[in-house]
Amino acid sequence: MKKKVLTVDDSRTIRNMLLVTLNNAGFETIQAEDGVEGLEVLEGCNPDVIVTDINMPRLDGFGFIEGVRRNEKYRAIPILVLTTESDAEKKNRARQAGATGWIVKPFDPAKLIDAIERVTA
Amino acid sequence: MDMNEIKEIFFQECEEQLAELESGLLKLNDGDRDPETVNAVFRAVHSIKGGAGAFGLDDLVSFAHVFETTLDCVRSNKLEPNQDVLKVMLKSADVLADLVTCSRDGGSVEDSRTRGLVKELEALAKGEMPSGGAAEAPKPAAVAAPAAVAPTDDSGFQPIPFSFDDDFGGDDKTVFEVSFKPRRELYSKGNEAALLLRDLSRLGDMAINCDTDALPALDAMDPEETYFSWTISITTDKTEEDIRAVFEFAEWDCDLEVKEVAAEAAEELPMVPVPFDLSALDDEAAAAPAPAAEAPAESKMAAAAARVEKKEAAAAPAAAAANNAAAAANAAGQTIRVDLDRVDRLINLVGELVINQAMLSQSVVENDTNGTSAVNMGLEELQQLTREIQDSVMAIRAQPVKPVFQRMSRIVREVADMVGKSIRLVTEGENTEVDKTVIDKIAEPLTHMIRNAVDHGIESPEKREAAGKDPEGTIKLSAKHRSGRILIELIDDGGGINRERVRQKAIDNDLISPDANLSDEEIDNLIFAPGFSTADKISDISGRGVGMDVVKRSIQALGGRISISSRPGLGSTFTMSLPLTLAVLDGMVVTVAGQTLVVPLTAIVETLQPEASAIHSFGATQRLISIRNSFCPLVDVGRILNFRSTQANPVEGVALLVESEGGGQRALMVDAIQGQRQVVIKSLEANYTHVPGIAAATILGDGRVALILDVDAVVGASRGQSMKQDGGALKADVSLAAAG
Amino acid sequence: MASKKADKGSLKLVPILDLNEASVLHGQLTNMRGEDVKIDASEVERIGVQCVQVILAAAKTWEADSKNFVFEKVSEAFEKTMQLIGIDIEHLLAKEIRQ
Repeated sequence: MKKKVLTVDDSRTIRNMLLVTLNNAGFETIQAEDGVEGLEVLEGCNPDVIVTDINMPRLDGFGFIEGVRRNEKYRAIPILVLTTESDAEKKNRARQAGATGWIVKPFDPAKLIDAIERVTA
Repeated sequence: MDMNEIKEIFFQECEEQLAELESGLLKLNDGDRDPETVNAVFRAVHSIKGGAGAFGLDDLVSFAHVFETTLDCVRSNKLEPNQDVLKVMLKSADVLADLVTCSRDGGSVEDSRTRGLVKELEALAKGEMPSGGAAEAPKPAAVAAPAAVAPTDDSGFQPIPFSFDDDFGGDDKTVFEVSFKPRRELYSKGNEAALLLRDLSRLGDMAINCDTDALPALDAMDPEETYFSWTISITTDKTEEDIRAVFEFAEWDCDLEVKEVAAEAAEELPMVPVPFDLSALDDEAAAAPAPAAEAPAESKMAAAAARVEKKEAAAAPAAAAANNAAAAANAAGQTIRVDLDRVDRLINLVGELVINQAMLSQSVVENDTNGTSAVNMGLEELQQLTREIQDSVMAIRAQPVKPVFQRMSRIVREVADMVGKSIRLVTEGENTEVDKTVIDKIAEPLTHMIRNAVDHGIESPEKREAAGKDPEGTIKLSAKHRSGRILIELIDDGGGINRERVRQKAIDNDLISPDANLSDEEIDNLIFAPGFSTADKISDISGRGVGMDVVKRSIQALGGRISISSRPGLGSTFTMSLPLTLAVLDGMVVTVAGQTLVVPLTAIVETLQPEASAIHSFGATQRLISIRNSFCPLVDVGRILNFRSTQANPVEGVALLVESEGGGQRALMVDAIQGQRQVVIKSLEANYTHVPGIAAATILGDGRVALILDVDAVVGASRGQSMKQDGGALKADVSLAAAG
Repeated sequence: MASKKADKGSLKLVPILDLNEASVLHGQLTNMRGEDVKIDASEVERIGVQCVQVILAAAKTWEADSKNFVFEKVSEAFEKTMQLIGIDIEHLLAKEIRQ
């Protein structure tokens, strides 16, 4: 069974990099462009792990994570925050919102896959 | 999709982000304080930085980082985005744009520019207000770049340091005792103790003891509470940091202790050894890259890259694509990206379809004299449909003028800075859409005009103040649709055209005779004459005598018109009228000296059948036609284009009353009108060569090629006649060639 | 749906036993209180610590109630996870599958 990853990022560049990286590592990849779309897509795709950006229009990463964690059905899904912010404050906010872990951009493919492996069975 | 393609996407996205950045900054400059505007600006820079990092574009990353830090201060209300602050930000946006361009096309941005701005940005972030001209003090070469660069080199795989301190022998292993007690939050945030223990077990030989004493009876328990805690003994060649790194995501949500112990100490607790073979738990480990510590990052990435290419050859995975499509279907306000070549091809094909349909109609009409058959009616419907398809297809390529307008604001800033003027650019109707081919071609003439307006149009602040004006000049750039064309206006509140000087210059340059009697409007329009330049001194900005004639020519090449109206002391208004597309044209098909010509319908005001009594001779070669009590010069198209050597008899032909960009009217004489239809424009330049007086060509319904008349060029040629009456036809030919 | 109740006194665990399933499993086992229970863990692919806690709490409770609580069948993944997190279920395994 292929593992399913939902990625949420407003940057087309990053979306494409994620897609290529994840597909090549044998994941099934579903993509959304911001938090609002992420929550919409989540219904019905039931991913094994979510990778999300923080800075996004409409609904940012913090709001999106909170939304997932409030969802009865999907609250247990591991969420990795993909962000250039490596400072403790941002990590902290992401954690408080319910993030499982983080990947500091610019990610390299191995680092991304490794982080996903760490939080998924 | 390979990395190069993604990089291409990145640069496309940069363009969009830069546009977003600039428009956001301009909104802030206008006093907009919507947090979402600030957020959008921040995101734009952030996003560029993120992508740039992924491609190792360090210059871009480090500058974006400094910029972003300062923007973050604005976002968190630590820095008020006043005009001075925004000036620095707008300049930074320009440098960022240049860095993007350099990253894409090579080359480099002047170090001093970047460095100066980095300093200013950092000062802002520290709460220092800009000091205006901020003399650039030399700064240590380091500039913040090293600190600012995002950790590109942090691969996540710390090579095990070869240190003699913790590595006495060759294969010496350390025993660590780890005590781990998760809290409830660890699970609610999606972490899982079992997975953490799995990762830990991969570091070495592990023995584990689970303390279950806290576990209550079933009815007394909260199923989501945590009751278990662990003591683990691990024998490994890894360091304490490696062990802690396993708990990186969980360290806030558990009690964790890691300590190095003597090998015997571990025996004190009853431990269950954990076999390393956990294959049943991590079947993905076989398929996906092996756990971190086992392979050097480089080789893994190389392997990943190799796989990228392999998969590329096998086309994109269909399943993922289908999934993406499904996901995308949920998104609101969808757009798709289509390769421009495909759209162009489609537009060309539709063009052929229009021609084909016209040819078909014509041959049916020729064979069906009464014109009432079912075939004929079907053809009418076909014509309707073809037209609708064409409109819809053209709409695909239509784009707002916004990006071009945005580029202009940068030019205003730069040029104003250079000449020491303070100028505000106000834009209007940025969302007016026009065919992409038109957009691509208006940027250059518009740039030229904007430079001119800043350099010559707007006066120096001192002069303005002396004239009782706001020392800050305003240039307004607006776009709107009007009767099937796009109208672009460039209005400055400068000094207006100095008609005395323009007139004198025109006389000096032998453009008009000293005694020519010209209206104000005609004098103003002299600035479009070839070789005309009013700048007292040649400046770097407006170029060397490459004046408005070049602008006019490029506008005309687009099938457009340009005119100026000016009020002394109050400013000038340049008006450009352009076709919405360069692909099709509504035209009147006429006959001139046995040739079939197409006259763009937009140029024609009315058509009339001249009566002998309305024709008046004027001088040797000039004739006027009187229309409703006013006289209008009569221009024989056949003569101007040298189709015939003598003027035709106006009474035997038809007069097309056209309006030229100067506002003046001319009556173009043609022999007969064949009809009115939409024609597909085929470039003459691309297929043959430029012909003065001819704008382009088309293929008619009967398959013959017809030339499309360049009305402005023809009118311009006739104006040359009227301006210098003694010059006659020769002068007309000269100016025709120059205008074409 | 942590489990399917095939027949009385027997409980078949679902393949994925994550955080969400802990409460479900808890409810299911609570309903079976007082009867001998046979657990079928042969289809378990993934089990989180919180579900393990529920199962062990049940085992403890059944023991106090002097009722039988045995694992009839276990999957490899189930067994490995138990081993990994240091939980010994040897005494809970049905005689036939004990090693």
